Amino acid sequence: MTLTIPSGSVVTTTAGLSVAGIGELVSSADPDQTLVCYGLGSCVAVSAWDPRTRVAALAHFMLPTGTGGGPPVKFVDQGFDQFLAAFRTLGGSPARAQIKAAGGASMLAVMAGSLDIGRRNVQAVETHLSKAGLRLAASDLGGSVGRTVQLAVGNGRLLIKSVAGTKTL
Amino acid sequence: MTLVVGSDLWQASLSTVFLHALDRAGEALRAMSDQRVEVESANVRMCGVGEVVAQVGSPDDVVVGVYLGITGSLRGHALLLLTPDGARRFAGLLLEGVLEPSDALAGPDGDVVLSAMETSALQELGNVTIAACLNELGKYFEEPVHPTVPQAIVELAGAILDAVLLDLVTDVDQVLAAGTRFTIGGETIDGTILILPDAPSLARLAEAVASHAR
Repeated sequence: MTLTIPSGSVVTTTAGLSVAGIGELVSSADPDQTLVCYGLGSCVAVSAWDPRTRVAALAHFMLPTGTGGGPPVKFVDQGFDQFLAAFRTLGGSPARAQIKAAGGASMLAVMAGSLDIGRRNVQAVETHLSKAGLRLAASDLGGSVGRTVQLAVGNGRLLIKSVAGTKTL
Repeated sequence: MTLVVGSDLWQASLSTVFLHALDRAGEALRAMSDQRVEVESANVRMCGVGEVVAQVGSPDDVVVGVYLGITGSLRGHALLLLTPDGARRFAGLLLEGVLEPSDALAGPDGDVVLSAMETSALQELGNVTIAACLNELGKYFEEPVHPTVPQAIVELAGAILDAVLLDLVTDVDQVLAAGTRFTIGGETIDGTILILPDAPSLARLAEAVASHAR
């Protein structure tokens, strides 16, 4: 098993499961591993999977922009390059990768108008993908439901669970 | 007395204030439910987002949350979180004699679904409980502290929390989380109350607490 843990990241690993907490990223080349982001609300999870090398990475972005410290991918604008770098480090090619995204919901109607962080997170991810010359192969973004995502390193399938049901991208 | 933001004295002073406020929330729960309510010792501390999520259990757990924004002299967010089954039973306690629990309220997959009456009862529960807490905090300010209209939501615990926490951590990495767990009645209903003020409010509250002590 190969698991990259960038400095400052706290990654919970149980048998075959690597969890990216809020603002963290995980990556692996172990086909038996599953990378997970639990309970995404306004946050956005971005996954990359290289079908040739079977390398996978999953980032749990928190906010579109910002300054300062914190976990490695707290901000999309600061953490996106780091996400791609972690993927490359294990032998993944962003150009060849299937890139998928989920999350960016507007969870609470009473907060939606004033903050709209979910929508801004989605826009930030799209902007940084475009800058890197990449595009989403599939996505499940927006809406008003929370999501848990699981990326199977062996086959690149992204399982998305919510209170509304389960789907696979 | 001057309280340096982030100092041990600052944290201790704010902890005392929030512990009193959470006691008031417990009293409101007792009064509203007319049941024996046991409130565990409250937990007030500065912590990272992940720790706040861990405080309420697994982020993947489906919970019933009642959210209220906090406005006025103190700004931030407040949550009452219950397990779906606990929320249903709590609503049953509140609506005893008004509404008979019915199997018709179960969803197609056997999931717990809350009726409009049950949802309304839980929103009122959140409103009364958190308002009691905010009234206590409001004693330190000349201007009042107000809760917004409550909103009940059935969701993943992590998803509810990330929606409210993101508003607080744009410029800081840690938030003050004041939370407590409680049990109600003969059959245990676990719940959590979380009060999450923003950083400027905390500075104002600390100053107000210091003035109060002078």
